[in-house]
Amino acid sequence: MNNINGRVWIFGDDINTDLMYPQICYTLPQEEKPYHAMEANRPGWAGMVRKGDIIIGGRNFGTGSSRPAADNLKNLGIVCVIAESINGLFLRNAVNSGLPALEIHGISGIAREGDTIVIDFVNSIIKNARTEEMINFKPLPAFLMEIIENGGIINILKNKGMLGKPL
Amino acid sequence: MDVVKMNIIENILFNHSVEPVKYVSPGDIVTVNVDRVIMVDMAALHPEFLDNPPVKPFDPEKISLVFDHYVPAPNIEIANRVNRLRKVVDRWGIKDFYDVGRGGISHVLGGEKGWFRPGSLIANTDSHTIATGAFNTLGRGLGTPEVMNIIATGKTWFPVGETLKINLENRIKPHTSAKDVFFYMASKIGDIPNKNIEFSGNGIEYLNIDQRSSISTMCAEVSAEFAVFPEDKILKQYMNERGYMDYHAAVPDTNAEYIDEMSIDMGKIEPMVAMPDRIIGNIKPISEIGRVEIDVAVVGSCANGRLSDIRDVAEVLNGRKISDRTRFVVTPASKAIYEEASRLGYISTIMEANAMVTNPTCGACLGGHMGVVGNGDNVISSTTRNFKGRMGGSGAKIYLASARSVAISALKGHIAGDLNE
Ligand code: SF4
Repeated sequence: MNNINGRVWIFGDDINTDLMYPQICYTLPQEEKPYHAMEANRPGWAGMVRKGDIIIGGRNFGTGSSRPAADNLKNLGIVCVIAESINGLFLRNAVNSGLPALEIHGISGIAREGDTIVIDFVNSIIKNARTEEMINFKPLPAFLMEIIENGGIINILKNKGMLGKPL
Repeated sequence: MDVVKMNIIENILFNHSVEPVKYVSPGDIVTVNVDRVIMVDMAALHPEFLDNPPVKPFDPEKISLVFDHYVPAPNIEIANRVNRLRKVVDRWGIKDFYDVGRGGISHVLGGEKGWFRPGSLIANTDSHTIATGAFNTLGRGLGTPEVMNIIATGKTWFPVGETLKINLENRIKPHTSAKDVFFYMASKIGDIPNKNIEFSGNGIEYLNIDQRSSISTMCAEVSAEFAVFPEDKILKQYMNERGYMDYHAAVPDTNAEYIDEMSIDMGKIEPMVAMPDRIIGNIKPISEIGRVEIDVAVVGSCANGRLSDIRDVAEVLNGRKISDRTRFVVTPASKAIYEEASRLGYISTIMEANAMVTNPTCGACLGGHMGVVGNGDNVISSTTRNFKGRMGGSGAKIYLASARSVAISALKGHIAGDLNE
């Protein structure tokens, strides 16, 4: 996978799925959903996100529901989520949506909001472009990277002919 | 290397491994066969499912479809979408379909219907699937796209996490609930993403299946992967009474490995509350929070809308009226619970107190319907989550507590855990 080079948004601990994908998103048109991400905890944030941005969260990122919360962040333009620790369900949902999600202990200290970081997946290193500080990370297992590179599990199922006509 | 000793969770993953392996241990990723896949009505609201459903399931007998979150449909959009979802029943030949008026919340219904067999492995589109742990069953909530993959293939993967052994000792005090035990535990362990919990200890025998389910269900809120109880005589009896004899319970190997072990004296726990917006790091004994007035009280959900909870509510309300300032919505978690509560007179006791009893559904728990709260409401609820905006307006303050404490608070009009204080 190619390097990701993006602007950072900082979030704290226990950022939950209902903040990322509030209840009202369920019945909104697909293109409107992303603009409601984090509106309860950080009103106006979604409107400031640019395609290619990165989120750095604290502990227990993505705790909560099975709703397509990671997908919503991806559709908003977020290209990678990194956190001190990530809820297991959220991590799977991110990978299955084609959004890389990395658990990196110590990541919170590496960047301020607005910094640009470079994520090098080949060498498993993140570098802050401003401070030049670097941190190594444990790569995701190869078969998860493969799901991400294929754009998520639905694409894979489609390509295998396993999905049928609409209900 | 010595033979690896596996705990309950590792044994279940091992038994379901697709590839023959010698053992599983923390750090491994195991590809597993899934015994049952449960899909709930929320799949109809996923952007992909209705447009691109799997062509056919790996085994229609192993698929359950449960309408629970939006029962009955609260608006036209949802009514139209679940109408489309219903078509999958005939297309796939699903037998275990529970439509409006038939079933209940999947995590409760699955126990009643014998889908959670000790030693088995369950996937469900809903995040509280960890509830199955009360049945000595591994269950994982997964996103709809991943469940679509499992429906097509019958398989998925799990990372093997480290397991924390928690010994629940002694009997809970009379006016305390299993929910309080969970809150106490959560205040001690905090969040544990990627880790498991295995329960043990001499206090388990005093917990019925409802109480165990309340604890296992809530373990989703500490981000545990799995949280499992052992099979014992109470679970055996539960299964036998319902004719579910065909299973192989999972037991830990002698000297099984745990990352850590802790004991909780359930006899020392008092009624607790999770303060608004989060559970982790936000739990207090009710006796320490001062006076908090309550506008809305809710009892329901997969965690605490069970018969034991409805009984607690009826016992508290018995012959009394709730506070004039409070609205109290009670939602039994399944049809069977509703019927039994009705037969035992709980429903009329609750209604006489001016509380409202709704049909079984998730309803207010997810802010879907049947008790959506507004900005400015102070809410006390026996449901699972107090995230900002979870039950409706993001300006509402949601406190979580046991069903008993919610009922006492509804009577008094402010948060209280002791009827006689
Ligand atoms: S009752 Fe609440 S937590 Fe349980 S499945 Fe329904 S919405 Fe989820």
